[in-house]
Amino acid sequence: MPADTSITAPASIPVPPGRSALTEPTWVRALLIGGALLFLALFLLLPLVAVFAEALRRGFGAYWLALTEPDAVAAIELTLIVAAISVPANLLFGVAASWCVAKFDFRGKNLLITLIDLPFSVSPVISGLIYVLLFGMNGLFGSYLRDMGVQIIFAVPGLVLATIFVTFPFVARELIPLMQEQGSDEEEAALVLGASGWQTFWRVTIPNIKWGLLYGVLLCNARAMGEFGAVSVVSGHIRGETNTMPLHVEILYNEYNFVAAFAVASLLAMLALVTLVVKTALEWRFGDELAASRH
Amino acid sequence: MAIQVSGITKRFNDFTALDSVDLEVKSGELLALLGPSGSGKTTLLRIMAGLESPDGGSLLLNGEEALGLKPRDRQVGFVFQHYALFRHMTVFDNVAFGLKVRPRGERPGSAEIKRRVTELLELVQLSPFAGRYPAQLSGGQRQRVALARALAIEPKVLLLDEPFGALDAKVRKELRRWLRKLHDDIHITSVFVTHDQEEALELADRVVVMNQGRIEQIGTPAEVYDHPASAFVYEFLGQVNRFDCTVEGGIAHVGGGALAIPTQGGVQGPAVAYVRPHDLGVTPASAGPARISGIHVVGPDARIDIDLAGLSLEAEMDRERLATLGIAAGDRCAIHIDRARVFAR
Repeated sequence: MPADTSITAPASIPVPPGRSALTEPTWVRALLIGGALLFLALFLLLPLVAVFAEALRRGFGAYWLALTEPDAVAAIELTLIVAAISVPANLLFGVAASWCVAKFDFRGKNLLITLIDLPFSVSPVISGLIYVLLFGMNGLFGSYLRDMGVQIIFAVPGLVLATIFVTFPFVARELIPLMQEQGSDEEEAALVLGASGWQTFWRVTIPNIKWGLLYGVLLCNARAMGEFGAVSVVSGHIRGETNTMPLHVEILYNEYNFVAAFAVASLLAMLALVTLVVKTALEWRFGDELAASRH
Repeated sequence: MAIQVSGITKRFNDFTALDSVDLEVKSGELLALLGPSGSGKTTLLRIMAGLESPDGGSLLLNGEEALGLKPRDRQVGFVFQHYALFRHMTVFDNVAFGLKVRPRGERPGSAEIKRRVTELLELVQLSPFAGRYPAQLSGGQRQRVALARALAIEPKVLLLDEPFGALDAKVRKELRRWLRKLHDDIHITSVFVTHDQEEALELADRVVVMNQGRIEQIGTPAEVYDHPASAFVYEFLGQVNRFDCTVEGGIAHVGGGALAIPTQGGVQGPAVAYVRPHDLGVTPASAGPARISGIHVVGPDARIDIDLAGLSLEAEMDRERLATLGIAAGDRCAIHIDRARVFAR
């Protein structure tokens, strides 16, 4: 079909020379961009800078001391342990759940999707309370667990459970739309070509979702380490034992130990920055493949 | 390998996709499943491949019951409508996939795999593209990769779902000829699904016309085009004029006696007549019963809209013939029809 090049702007709409009809005047653009930048600086950049400034107020020595005192080290270790358990668990659950939702049709599918979102819509404090009500001393399984000699609440298992609950949606939410969009054509092709279900999963499904999966895991990890509300309820705040980093920050802050509080907080802030940098680096380095997997 | 389908039925909730279908695919032939969307053709193809299981009936591959077999055990090659190429693999790896996933004992060595893939890529004329990803290929190239991938496992049957559906008209024609030639060379039993009657008639050895989960007619392209078994087949295969008539003593009367057409088949009383546009003759006649309401020239052909006592008809002829007749829109004319197929109303 020959392209019709005869369409021109009607004479009645004046377009000033040198400016496209879709571009706003300079002052409007300056105002919009400036406003957005100011907002970002005020609400995102400034607090971040403040965290590091407060942490280093008494110099690097005090900063280092605050991070290496035993309770801080215990909090850091505990945070890492909780993340090391809950992130892989959610990786597994997330992949399984999105596989179910995206590749199969079954009764109650919408209910499942709603349930996956539940942790996002419920206040984290409630999430913590649920576990106290279930496993606490006076909870549903409390007496049974006490008889068995198992402690969940005010111990590491409770922290892990609460963290898993709160961070559950990250991987699944990232994968479900991706897998739904990709459909099951490639899996079917693999099956007809003679692959087993296992081969199909590892050679076709996983490579197609790997970037989405990595995204989900990054976000999940950031939240797992940074979670406060749910963890606070089940932790019991025992120093050196059940305090994760966010809880430790709160305790220090309440004790007016600002340098130590901000020092630990700066670690969390750095975690956030690293997450962002890795995410951006992934996008930059593998942008083409990311786009292709969403193609 | 011959395929024997008998009594295959498939329902999706309360929609009947296939209603007791019987079909035999002969060894080495190229068969088209032709029908409108929702006619069940793709479902039938997917059942043959094992991607869908029927509610009843039996499927014999080479004389052996195959419904209990998984897709991987059926030795079929399947080409998907949207190709379903593995997007994260190169063209080479896509084609090699079926060989690489074989159990250890049956898997060819990597040198052998390389040789076979290279050979297949030559066959589909894609050797220079071995290192590319599917996203970097055109639609026609992707289609050929999908074909090479399906052929790599040396299937006994090749099943193609709307193989040219997503291509533009020119590429579609080229690829059609190329596929026909490929089939003539390797003679693999092939079944393809299409909703495009031209494609089915040009490409296939035999055409199966499907409608609403049933087979309307099976025959060679010439048979189904020249002798449609039902009104549906007549309407589905190509352009057709359809009008009501009354048949008395083998003569169909149209438009209150304006036209009389000889018929065969012994239909009596009210009926529907079908006439292909190129079977409808037009001659200029100043006192003729019909009027030419429009002439549209499309490439080498001309389409002529005719008004016969309130009935809209369409005739088709080449432009030279149109020029010889010297007719123009608004002229009166006479119509003669040598052949009409009538079905009782």
